Order: sequence, then C-alpha cells, then structure tokens
Amino acid sequence: MPTLHELQNDVARGLIGRDTAAAALHVVGDGLAPAARLAVYRNTIVAGLTTALRLSYPAVHRLVGAAFFESAAQLFLEARPPRAACLDDYDPGFADFLAGFAPAAAIPYLAGVARFDWAVSRALHAPDAAALDPAALGAVDAADEKRLRLVPHPSVGLVRADHPVDAIWRAVLAQDDAAMAAIDLAAGPVFLRVRRDAGGGADIARLEPASWRFTASLCAGATLHDAIQAAGEVDAATLLATHLIDGVFTAFTVGDADGRQPMETLP
Amino acid sequence: MSAFMTAAIARGPIPAQAGIGLRFPHHRAVAETRPDVAWLEVHTENYLGGGATPAWLDAIRRDYPISCHGVGLSLGSADGLDRDHLARIGRAIERFAPALVSEHLSWSVAGGNYLSDLLPLPLTEEALAVVCRNVEATQAFLRRRVLVENPSSYLRYRHSTIPEWEFLAAVAARTGCGILCDVNNIYVSAQNHGWDASAYLAALPPAAIGEIHLAGHAIRRLDNGAILRIDDHGSRVAPAVWALYAAALDCFGPVPTLIEWDTDIPPLATLLDEARSAQALLDAGGRKAGHADAA
Repeated sequence: MPTLHELQNDVARGLIGRDTAAAALHVVGDGLAPAARLAVYRNTIVAGLTTALRLSYPAVHRLVGAAFFESAAQLFLEARPPRAACLDDYDPGFADFLAGFAPAAAIPYLAGVARFDWAVSRALHAPDAAALDPAALGAVDAADEKRLRLVPHPSVGLVRADHPVDAIWRAVLAQDDAAMAAIDLAAGPVFLRVRRDAGGGADIARLEPASWRFTASLCAGATLHDAIQAAGEVDAATLLATHLIDGVFTAFTVGDADGRQPMETLP
Repeated sequence: MSAFMTAAIARGPIPAQAGIGLRFPHHRAVAETRPDVAWLEVHTENYLGGGATPAWLDAIRRDYPISCHGVGLSLGSADGLDRDHLARIGRAIERFAPALVSEHLSWSVAGGNYLSDLLPLPLTEEALAVVCRNVEATQAFLRRRVLVENPSSYLRYRHSTIPEWEFLAAVAARTGCGILCDVNNIYVSAQNHGWDASAYLAALPPAAIGEIHLAGHAIRRLDNGAILRIDDHGSRVAPAVWALYAAALDCFGPVPTLIEWDTDIPPLATLLDEARSAQALLDAGGRKAGHADAA
C-alpha cells in the first residue's frame, strides 16, 4: 500500500508527464481503464492551465490560434508545471519557452509579444501599493542624493524588444488587419514602460533608449548615481519627476544597503 | 430596502437562502444593477492580486454577504499546506471579510507542483489524519471555522478503506470544521461509482452542514461505451440533482444554497433564474430547524 506522499507523487508525475502507468496501479478499473479515468483529470488540468495562459497572454493566443496555443501550453505544462496555486502568477517563463519553441520560429516577434503580454498582465493584477509622495524626497540631503534607491510599484514592467511589440499587441487585440499590415517589423527595437493607471488599466509608454536604461536600472535597485551612469545621456531630473507623477515608485532608501528588486521583465 | 439595511445585511451571516457564484463577466452587471439575490460566492484565488478585479469585489461586497470559496489550498496534500498561499488567502479574507470561508476535500499540490484540479484522495486513516491536520492548521491560521466540500470524482483508489461520507463526517467531527455539501458532486460521484446518494446524505451530520452547492454536470460517453458524469459546472442543474437537493433539505433543514456556473458562463439572468428555483425549494421545505449557524 503506497503512502499518501508516494501516491500523490505518482499521480502528479503521471498527470503532468502523460505517463500514468505508475499512477494507474493505484486506481480501481471497474468498467473503465484507470488510464482513461486519469485522463479526465489530465484534460481538466490542461484546460485550466491553457485558460490561465490565454488570459495572461491574449495577444500570443490571437497570433498563433487556439489549437497551436493549446499544444504549446501542454508542452509548457510538462516543461514548467506551475509552482503556485494562483494562476494569475503562472509563469513568465512562457516567453522564454516560446523563444525556444521550434514550431513558433516562423513568428520572430512571438517571444517579444509574450514578454509584453506578461508585463501588461502583471500591470493589471500586481498587488496594490501607494505611490511615493514626491514631497518625501525633499527630506533627502543633497549629499545623499546619489545614493538614493527607489522601490518600483509592483505593477511596473520594463520591456525591451527587437520588434514593435506594443504596436503588434494593439493591432492583434483589436483584430485590426490594416494596422497590423502597416507595422514596420524592421523599424528597430522598442523600449517600453508598462504600469497600471488610476483606472486599473494598462498605461503603456515608449521611452528613449537612454531613458529606458535609466528607468530599468532604478527599478532594478541601482542607486540614482549608478542609474545615471548606466543611461549615458539622459535628463534624469525630468525623467524622475515624470515617473513620480505617474506613481512608478512606492518608497526609497538612502545608503549602500543592497536594495535590489528582481524585475522579471528585464531582458 | 434602504441603503442602511442593505449594508447591515451585507455585514451579517450568509442567510439560509439562495445565492450565486460571482464570476468576472458579471462584475459590472452585479455592481450596477444590484440584482435581487441573497448572497454571492467568489473563488478566493481570483482575488489575491491588486487592481480592478478586487476593487469590483470591494464595491459589490458593500451590498451583499460574501462567501470566499478556495480552490488552491490543497487540504489533502501529504506535504502539508503552502504557507505562502495560506497567507495570501488570509490577506484576502481580511480585505473582504467574508461571512463564510470554504475549501475542498481534495488535493492539488505534490512535490511543490500545482495541478489545477481538485484531485481525489485515497480514503484511508493516513489521509484522514493528513486532512485533519491541514484543516486544523488552516482554521488556526485564519482564526475561524471553515467549511470543507465533498468532491466529485472519476476514480477510486484500490487501497481506500473508508466510505467518503464517513471520511467527511470524521473530518468535521475531529476538527470542528463545517461541511459544504455539494449535492451535484454527490450525485455525480454516486452515479460514477455506484453509490447510494440518499444514503450519502443521510450519513452526514446535519448540524455540521453550513452550505449547499448546486451546479450542472455533463454526461460523457467514453470510447468503450461507458458513461461518465463530469462535474463541469457548465449547464443548468439537472432534474435528478434538484430532487436530491429536496432530499438534502429534508435531511438538513434550510441551508444557504449556491448556484455555481464556471464554464460557458450564461447571462446573469440565467443564474438568477436558477437561484429562484433553489429558493422555491427552500421556501417549500426548509422549515425544519437544526442546521449549523452559517457563521
């Protein structure tokens, strides 16, 4: 007789990996093969994860179609089963998975659109947090300014893509074929900032490359000094003011403590 | 009803009346039209983030008693509870202050992987001890009683030794939790496994029943000709399930009763229509006393 732990591992492995032979040994047949009974659960799991991924990656779903999307989702489930029970969080690794997914190679911008889809999804569903009151920065000594670190709002994502994924995303979701046809795929990379606006929608802004580097560095926990160094030519004061007005940051620290925040959407 | 009375009722217990499951497509319609339904239930996991989604529930919650029904806690996991997930559930419960909190007699997590379904447990003394430990940990962390729902199932394990109804009653007796009696699940499982649905109902302790679920199910004919009933929550409640519901009310007295619908979600009016059917049965038969205080 298996322990509960053994049984659950056998069943989980079988349902994720499609080989239910070990799990089937524990199951009563009774008019229907154990494998067929387990397949009912497998179907529900695949359908649930496919739906979760479709909601997080709506533009990818439109670009590849339902059948392709479902088979990619099944392979993704096997490669990267979710680790948390909140499927809003189901894995940003889907973009990386698509980047290495041979059948998707015909759409060179697919992984970029996936990264952007995920950034928008995070912007919509990330935890609530109060924006930093710009006046609070008035308390920082001039001598400490360069050691200032800022904490990004959980909804903020920074995406750099080789193709104009924001334009593709808009055209695809609007099902606007004319807009899609007008996109110049060779126009060069785009540098995007995504965040949740006051109405709960996604605010999408294109930044200059240097402005994006500055913002991405700050959001990754760099000091103001290091972010300016990383950016090169940038009007840091104006840019910081814009971000503060937009509620891009929630808090700040001064000093050398390592304030790094992992940012999933950084390249 | 005055706004004051509406708000007062919304803060009280779930009444022994019919409610509906609140799903995303109906947020706006419910918030703007305030339909005549006694209470609402949400899937807790859908409201763990920030932004517009939980804001809808904040607004709706001001006018309706709310039940938070979890689908991801995995009370049956031998590995124990995911404390991060439990903490997120706890924060949602603080935010929405639901009158009822419920979960399932099932498991979804093994080896840290989450399987998005409610998987059946082997019904053994070992599994019973695991479930009781996890229910106790949940109730201790949330500092409140929870309801545990009987699952629908499509398989049984060779080494199960305890009938499901006895297992569920034992969980309630040992942990003090309540029972969320899903009448459709009892019907589906009884049909799939050859159980006596009426005997199942009769074996449950009436005082522990805090809520009833009703939903539609699908009938699938498999390749070998076998029939399997699938609990897909994608249609109206079946006539046989309405009949079993009437029998449940005879056993338990009036109990808060929820209409669940999760696939091919229909217009709000259809859900309200189903809720009226449940309410009619509650009004006709639900005069017996004796069910557990829903709070």
